[in-house]
Amino acid sequence: MRTPPIAVLTVAALVLAGCGRPADTPPSAAQASSSIAEGPATGDLTIWAMGAEGEKLPDLLKDFETANPDVKVTVTAIPWSAAHDKFTTAITAQKTPDLAMVGTTWMGEFAGLGALDPTPSSIDKSVFFPGAWGTTEVSGTSFGIPWYVETRLVYYRTDLAEKAGITTPPTDWDGLKAMAKAMQDKAGAKWGINLQPGGTGSWQTVMPFAWSNGAQLNNGDQWTFDSPEMTEAVQYYQSFFTDGISNKAPAPNSTVEPPFVDGSQPMFISGPWEMSAVEKVGGKGFADKYTVMPMPVKKTSSSFVGGSNLAVFKNSQNKDSAWKLVQWLATPEVQVKWYQLSTDLPSVQSAWQDPALASDTKLATFGTQLKTAVAPPSFSTWEQVAAKFDTEIEKVAKTGEDVPTALKTVQSEAQSIGTGN
Amino acid sequence: MAAPTVAPAGPLPVSAPPADPQRTQRRRRHPGEARAAWTLAVPFTLLFLAFTVWPVFQSLFMSFTDTKQKDLRTPFQVNFIGVANYARALGDPVFVQAAANTAYFVVVGVPLTLAIALLAAVALDKGITRLRAVFRLGFYTPVITSIVAVAVVWRFLLQPDSGLVNTVLAWFGIDGPNWLGEVKWAMPSLIAMATWRNFGTGMIIFLAGLQSVPPSLHEAAAIDGANAWQRFWSITFPLLRATLLFVSVTTAIGYLQFFEEPFVMTSGGPLNSTLSLSMYTYNQFGYGNYGLAAAMSYLIFVVIAIVTALQFRLLRENT
Repeated sequence: MRTPPIAVLTVAALVLAGCGRPADTPPSAAQASSSIAEGPATGDLTIWAMGAEGEKLPDLLKDFETANPDVKVTVTAIPWSAAHDKFTTAITAQKTPDLAMVGTTWMGEFAGLGALDPTPSSIDKSVFFPGAWGTTEVSGTSFGIPWYVETRLVYYRTDLAEKAGITTPPTDWDGLKAMAKAMQDKAGAKWGINLQPGGTGSWQTVMPFAWSNGAQLNNGDQWTFDSPEMTEAVQYYQSFFTDGISNKAPAPNSTVEPPFVDGSQPMFISGPWEMSAVEKVGGKGFADKYTVMPMPVKKTSSSFVGGSNLAVFKNSQNKDSAWKLVQWLATPEVQVKWYQLSTDLPSVQSAWQDPALASDTKLATFGTQLKTAVAPPSFSTWEQVAAKFDTEIEKVAKTGEDVPTALKTVQSEAQSIGTGN
Repeated sequence: MAAPTVAPAGPLPVSAPPADPQRTQRRRRHPGEARAAWTLAVPFTLLFLAFTVWPVFQSLFMSFTDTKQKDLRTPFQVNFIGVANYARALGDPVFVQAAANTAYFVVVGVPLTLAIALLAAVALDKGITRLRAVFRLGFYTPVITSIVAVAVVWRFLLQPDSGLVNTVLAWFGIDGPNWLGEVKWAMPSLIAMATWRNFGTGMIIFLAGLQSVPPSLHEAAAIDGANAWQRFWSITFPLLRATLLFVSVTTAIGYLQFFEEPFVMTSGGPLNSTLSLSMYTYNQFGYGNYGLAAAMSYLIFVVIAIVTALQFRLLRENT
């Protein structure tokens, strides 16, 4: 390059001089718009949805368009793998849709970017599961509503449990472990229970135990990984590996269904989608050979609640109609219809009284567990902190690392990452 | 007697050099021509500036600031924090572990890939005469196969209980390990897979290099009594030096950035034993730590530059 270095330096200096954060960041003016106007929705609406939801949503929305003849809703289906990038690009370029399905762990980030519209006060939060509603709240303000939910339960083989001498499912920690051990000793299972020995997402299996023991992930803006309750729960989790009840070195990307069906790992902890997955692998009649039970109680029985939310974007030109669509999607009848279309579980509690859900005992157990299920805080840094937690869980499970040391490491790393607020 | 006119033995001299080169050059720089040249070059120059130079400067700038995901709308309203990102990366034990993993992968993987590529090329050049095209295609196929498909097959091969590798080992009474699930075997498994996937490229280039070695040299040496190994070591190998340099540099650059293998096979585990520098950097971008991730990218760039310079020093022509 022939450009004199002095010119480059001058440009660089000018660029740098223009940098720096503004001294006073305006407080995120998070007052909710008072209420949603009366009357039908009108105009054009664009909604983004991921995965199977994106494919099935147009069928559901036909009813909305019938009820609101002046509205035209366009659904853009996005694959999950590309969704996060697409959202952040859209938010940066201010080209967001009117509303979208938003993963619960993204709420903190998108709300932090100032992209989401606060939930109008006329939407009643008490109709939703409290844990699910918690995922919409960022620093005390709610942005959107929970659309559908999922939670984690213990799956077990009833036929093998009977062989192991267990007819009533255990309700506490000792009982769960004794059951898994009995599966190994008396029912010929290679491993008593299939628990994830660390790695991506293992916190979703560990935290239900911690929450059930009264542990919290955060106290306001401070992380609390090194609490005694957390330590006790992780030690309990570790004991499954040190006692040889769970496999500490499964092959990467191995799935739970085949060993569940062949009886070599007759228990695992997962969400509602596993029902159709194991029945597909197990074939006809397998539905009668297993069931689900709530997370065992220590102080409480508190599982993890996941799912997706619906949020309206601040940039939308048609916010009122967008909220009308959100409100419509949260009515119990529509939630039941959506369950029948997509098998997504309703986030609205009263929808669970519908016979379509209440008549299925396994589903009903999910419904009960959801009442007490807990979500991680909506901090934009949560996924990064969770990855650190997963790494230490892996050490605890595989190398037998001392639990207080591991949690101290997570705590100091989490504190240095911060909460992003 | 006229002087004998003898044709010069050497090549004919080219026309005499111009008396004043500077003036010729000035004359060539016709203003109209220059304008035409710039007009033609403008589209490329603009694209190059916008999509190559600017991102490079932007990312370099980013690496010295505390840019996070939420700053994307206002990329210049960030604080300049000097080399803090670089210091943080180098002080991060996971980054250091990823660097050690990458070094392991390169130090074992590159020589192995080169050796197998050369072996395959020599075999195709000299040994295998029948069905040569079939073997050449077979060895090259992994290069052009999608990593996703390859990963599925390799995961099946390496399954601890039912995989082909351990089944074959069991025939000989060896209890095969859990290849991808154990800390000490995960990285060797990935190296094996990367070698298998990449040696085809080196092989094709070596093959071209081997075929440019003049057969007359080999014939002369054979007449002088040199055996096959001596001929290979003293004739073929020195003549392959330039080819070797090229293959070694491109392979090392690729391996220093290795990403796909752990990404699809192990997600960096178990216990971060297959986490590579590129993958860790990718994760940091994913968490929205753009400043830190940019600094990590530049650290990788510096390492690549140093390694490449070293290879040029070690393998350059001894003249």
